[in-house]
Amino acid sequence: MKIECGIEQIKNAILQTERITGKNLTLPILSSILLIASGKNLKMRATNLSLGIEIEIPAKIEEEGTVAVSGSVLSGMFSNIVQNESISLFTEDSNLLIKTKKSKIKLKCNPYEDFPTIPKVSGIELEIDAKKIMDGIKSVYYSSSVSDIKPEISSVYIYSNEENLVFVSTDSFRLAEKKIKVKSLQEISGILIPFKNIPDILRVFGEFSGNIKVSFDKNQISFSSDSVYLTSRVINGVFPDYRQILPKESKTEVVVLKQDLSNALKLSNIFSDKFNQINFSIKPKSKIFELSSQNNDVGENKTYLDAVLSGEDIELSFNYKYFLDCFQSINTDSISIKLNQSSKPMVVSSSSDNSFTYLIMPMNR
Amino acid sequence: MDTKQLWKNCLVEIEEGMSKANFSTWFKNTSIIKEELGIIYVGVPNEFVRDWLKNKYHKLITKTVADAYESMRAVEYLITKIETNKQELPKLNEAFVNVNKELPLRDLYIDKEDNLNPRYKFDSFIVGSFNELAYSAAQHIVEKPGINYNPFFVYGGTGLGKTHLLQAIGNAIKEKYADKKVHYITLEKFATDLVNSFQAGNNKANAFKEKYRKYDLLIIDDIQFIGKMETTQEQLFHTFNTYHENNKQIIFSSDKHPNYIPELADRLKSRFAQGMIVDISEPAYESRLAILKVKLQEQNIDLEPEILEYVASTIEGNIRELEGSLNTIICQYRLKNRPLSLAEVKTLMKNNIKPKKNVSIKDVVKVVSDHYNLDEASIYEKTRRKEIVRARQVVMYLLREDFNVSYPLIGQKLGGKDHTTVIHSYLKIKNDLKNDPQLLQEIETIRTMFK
Repeated sequence: MKIECGIEQIKNAILQTERITGKNLTLPILSSILLIASGKNLKMRATNLSLGIEIEIPAKIEEEGTVAVSGSVLSGMFSNIVQNESISLFTEDSNLLIKTKKSKIKLKCNPYEDFPTIPKVSGIELEIDAKKIMDGIKSVYYSSSVSDIKPEISSVYIYSNEENLVFVSTDSFRLAEKKIKVKSLQEISGILIPFKNIPDILRVFGEFSGNIKVSFDKNQISFSSDSVYLTSRVINGVFPDYRQILPKESKTEVVVLKQDLSNALKLSNIFSDKFNQINFSIKPKSKIFELSSQNNDVGENKTYLDAVLSGEDIELSFNYKYFLDCFQSINTDSISIKLNQSSKPMVVSSSSDNSFTYLIMPMNR
Repeated sequence: MDTKQLWKNCLVEIEEGMSKANFSTWFKNTSIIKEELGIIYVGVPNEFVRDWLKNKYHKLITKTVADAYESMRAVEYLITKIETNKQELPKLNEAFVNVNKELPLRDLYIDKEDNLNPRYKFDSFIVGSFNELAYSAAQHIVEKPGINYNPFFVYGGTGLGKTHLLQAIGNAIKEKYADKKVHYITLEKFATDLVNSFQAGNNKANAFKEKYRKYDLLIIDDIQFIGKMETTQEQLFHTFNTYHENNKQIIFSSDKHPNYIPELADRLKSRFAQGMIVDISEPAYESRLAILKVKLQEQNIDLEPEILEYVASTIEGNIRELEGSLNTIICQYRLKNRPLSLAEVKTLMKNNIKPKKNVSIKDVVKVVSDHYNLDEASIYEKTRRKEIVRARQVVMYLLREDFNVSYPLIGQKLGGKDHTTVIHSYLKIKNDLKNDPQLLQEIETIRTMFK
């Protein structure tokens, strides 16, 4: 192999693929990045057997070839090369020689024959604005369950409903749902993307602008742009029927400024117990919206908030963390909280935009 | 053949030819799922492994399996779900769970993709004389879908197990042929989908067609409501043709024979008749008893035989009602935590038994004469006009057979006839019924009016 390419391009590609190499796996070859030079492109491939990625960059290829090189070494090396010029790579025996204007590097290669292939997905295909799909995933994925016991809920569930692409995740204590309008949407009966793969997917496509192609079948989903192909395993399971627990009406409603509530929650948290318990006391008739928390070792705190209140009086307690989590998905200044009974879930959403819904289960007192 | 043992032997062979790291990465969590016509299906945990086994180790695997199992013809790879160890719930969470209530999420029971309820299986389907024809036809369909009996049309009254049979066929085919796409739908949903597709415009109308033509087995339940829906009939007709041409199985159920579905287009009628039309009738006493016993076994509960006999004899016909009554009894049984006595069961069942309507002789005459379009009074007259004689005989037959009225009383009430005349009429109709299906149909129609 003998090639020449721009440093900036290969650097970005290496840093992205390196994240997806297999770490502490039984098969050492998975910690490598596979470099394939053919035609007019250099392809970099990595996989951890749950995710697979392939990035293609233009390169001047004098001699075609394939090598596998340790991912961590490559990324460590490239993150410290700061020149912005071209770089040349060529193989000599079982070594990869890398030359820039100011440095010469010799890297040991691994045998590339054992490097696995990355599955190509053939199934339903749709083309969609990357921002939309990434925004949908980002709005809900933090609510997934982190444990592996129930794989179907340690995932982000995506399905289509009329003109919306709906993203849902839950860990059974709280639930986040985001609807995103997509024109001429195909029917999607449901895909479960493993929660563990989500940060990597967001890292690769989170900042991407323009359309990407999403294909999926029963076992696999892939996202691809012109130069990047990313594929993830999907979970074979059935997401719980969450729609039946979304409350249809509410007895009490609160509209409050997001910033005010966020500050109050953070303050109250200092005094919350080990379960992060915070209490709400809402009395629309006397116009009181009070947050309180207490901890025998620290002390206690009561905060009053200005809010628009309506409906019946109610008191309940909940885990403040669950509440704070959802603020990242609400982009408006004020949020609305709808409550039913102190034992029923409360619904948090933006006061003006109904695309995002968040359910929090209260705590037993 | 013991597939587990076979695969274990093969793995030992395979392990020798590669590094330990390779072996444990690619062959962990694999198994032989099934063997069919010499094809060995190897289950793998995900697509990455499938790809790699297929590209890199296919030769090795094929050779090893072939050495160990001679009648092997090919090896295929299927992706399977790995069962996670559900018992090992982490203890740490316990305190947490106690304080934090969980959202009342229930697992979705029905598979969204095909609408089938996994509860409906052939294993739980009870076969008796009332449904054995339908059952054996269903078995043939599972054997060779699309070839035998296509379309398959099942009809019968409510609560007799049509839906169970239909879904059992779907589930069995899904299990047997991994690649076949099954879809179960009620006519109502089919029609709603069609209407929605019209509303959505041209683009979606094609989507509707594509959606319903991509399956390998389409099951449409409760088709009897199609009568008034002309456009739905047309779409169904086209969908039907596509399935039939491509030798794909299509199954319908209805509560009536297609000939009695009002306003059903002739072209559909004849197409339904093209395959196989079977009816499921009401279960006899023995079948009812058998059904009760199986249901009890499912629940792991034992009841006195005389209680079962009582339930089987009092609830007639409808299996759904039979199950309902049994559930009431089981519920009480669990509540009281002791066996119930027959007397207790009788009081429990009081509400479940349909009160027999008190039908007077006059009512019978009225219904029959209405059915034959005769004047009510003419039945009582001393006339031997043919149409009246027949109607009068039917009245006598019904009074005797269904309402147990004595011969002399029947004679007396119907214009002072001799009891021998009544006996003659009764026997005549009874005999005619054996070889006159039209008469049978008439009597059935009249009988439903008393219910």
